[in-house]
Amino acid sequence: MYHSFELDRVDHRLWLSTSQQGYRLHLRDQVIDPVAFTHHSESSGILTIAGESEPVRFAIEGDLIHLHIRGRTRVLRYNDPLRTFAPANDEIRPLTARAPMPGVVVAITVSPGQSVSAGMALMMVESMKLETIIRSPRDGIVDRIHVEQGDSFEHDAVLVTLSKEGR
Amino acid sequence: MHTLPFDTVLIANRGEIAARIIKTLRNLGLRSAIAYHEVDALTPAVSMADLAIPISGRTPVASYLDFAQIIAAARKAGAGALHPGYGLLSENAEFAKAVIEAGITFIGPAPEAIELMGDKIRARNFVQRNGFPVVPCAIEEDEPTTFVSRAQAVGFPLLVKPSAGGGGKGMRIVRDLSALEAAIEQARSEACRYFGDGRLYVERYLEIPRHIEVQVLGDAFGNLVHLFERECSVQRRFQKIIEETPSPALSPELRKRICEAAVGIARAAQYQNAGTVEFILSEGAFYFLEMNTRLQVEHPVTEMITGVDLIAEQVYAAAGRELSLSQSDIVPNGHAIELRLYAEAPERGYVPTTGKVLLLEFPDGVRIDSGVMQGQHITPAFDPMLAKIIVHAPSRIEAALKAHRAVRELVLLGCETNANLLARILADETFLGGQFHTGYLEENPHLAADNFATGLCAFLASAALLTRPVRASADAVPELHATLGSWRN
Repeated sequence: MYHSFELDRVDHRLWLSTSQQGYRLHLRDQVIDPVAFTHHSESSGILTIAGESEPVRFAIEGDLIHLHIRGRTRVLRYNDPLRTFAPANDEIRPLTARAPMPGVVVAITVSPGQSVSAGMALMMVESMKLETIIRSPRDGIVDRIHVEQGDSFEHDAVLVTLSKEGR
Repeated sequence: MHTLPFDTVLIANRGEIAARIIKTLRNLGLRSAIAYHEVDALTPAVSMADLAIPISGRTPVASYLDFAQIIAAARKAGAGALHPGYGLLSENAEFAKAVIEAGITFIGPAPEAIELMGDKIRARNFVQRNGFPVVPCAIEEDEPTTFVSRAQAVGFPLLVKPSAGGGGKGMRIVRDLSALEAAIEQARSEACRYFGDGRLYVERYLEIPRHIEVQVLGDAFGNLVHLFERECSVQRRFQKIIEETPSPALSPELRKRICEAAVGIARAAQYQNAGTVEFILSEGAFYFLEMNTRLQVEHPVTEMITGVDLIAEQVYAAAGRELSLSQSDIVPNGHAIELRLYAEAPERGYVPTTGKVLLLEFPDGVRIDSGVMQGQHITPAFDPMLAKIIVHAPSRIEAALKAHRAVRELVLLGCETNANLLARILADETFLGGQFHTGYLEENPHLAADNFATGLCAFLASAALLTRPVRASADAVPELHATLGSWRN
């Protein structure tokens, strides 16, 4: 199964498979074997890649992976496939739309009391120079909008609370 | 040593400079108090100060500009003196007067000197009258009806500037007569917008200009010394990003002349305390640009090569002591470079960036003047400068190598910075050759661009291995399949 990471607006598809000494990294046009990561602390470790050892400093913030390797700092964004394929059962879908990463509200496209369906756009946010649409996790009614246009928010902040449809 | 007439100093500033001032106050055995806005509660200066007094306002910046609250904080702290740092209220003559009227020593020059140098046109005329070189110019308000023809007489290319300006805002380069009137109108509208003052002047635009400034220090007894020059030509949009001393552009003879001119200008202004005289150097000639009546951001490079603590000298001078240094005592040693770490993305037109500092590790073996701590939020409320890295080495090339190593070792995750750009400049031949001018970054746009292909595999591999769902989907594949997979290869 492919996973995708975004770096500087470019999508990189890759996947891992297990190998004798760790993992095998499958990129679009090459396979690197083996790759392994040894944690030294909660923010540092050693990447072994094609026989080379690279000290890595990292910080994970929701879908954002901040990395410092060989004097360079990069931020990659994991595009979680699960977000696109939300669970089917309404009962286990959350009543809140949360921020997948820190950012700023660009525009809000719904208002309280409005009924929305699963997947409908609730607001546009900007993070790491990318505009992302925050979609409704389920059918329901917009109960509260916790942010205003221009507000900044943290990873995992509740942006919109929904209520179940009244009967 | 005599005791100082005050034992507590209020710092009317924030960020790295507030932390820097506290360090010197500690060395001098003085208590430090800081007035701070709540957005700065988690910053180094607030945690280092002996006393931290909250202030508030419509915006964070507005609270740091509120005379009444700051003077009240000084009183509350029992502060006998106030250090304004740089920026904010540091060059506000009215503020300096209000501090003095409150019976508090202002650690800076006399309000009259701030007033004289604060208005660019008045300062320029003063410097010219005293026989020092200034750039040929025409001032609109001298005779508004003839402004365009007088501007033309100065000679192209011209730089149109707002009289009340600073920081490069509203400045325009005009290369021929046809573009002059439109440029004047645009500059005026920007000047009104930024400074609420549409007055303009034009000056000859000097080609291949370098920005060289001279640190001076004066006391209440008329003693004035210089502490040599700083080269500040590596700029983006008129904002300095790398400063060094000595300047690779000055011969010993030219250095002597420019430093003597700076002392002469300061002496004419009866200047007391620390100040900086800025010059433009072009084709072997230098011209007065402006005088900054405060400590500069880049003061550490001067401290590194002279061994003088400029803030301690400011405190002593403000306390009415005679300078302990004579000109012959000040001997430069080696080469120093300062890098300004900004929360901005050079790759995207230097837009300011924000975020929470998730991981912060400073390099060893260099001086760090920092205003950030791990866990702190970088907000767009203030200037985007986060910290300064200052290196000192026997020669320029060794200093550049050391700075390059240090900026690559610095780890700041959670908020994009210009660290990658600084590393690219420090490895660039033009910079290393010392042959740059203030248009260096505009002329070399490749320096602002990042090459994301460099080391890409290591970044992708780390990201993949650090993302649980990616590892999980590999682990979920039964071993047999994985083995089959490898057989197929």
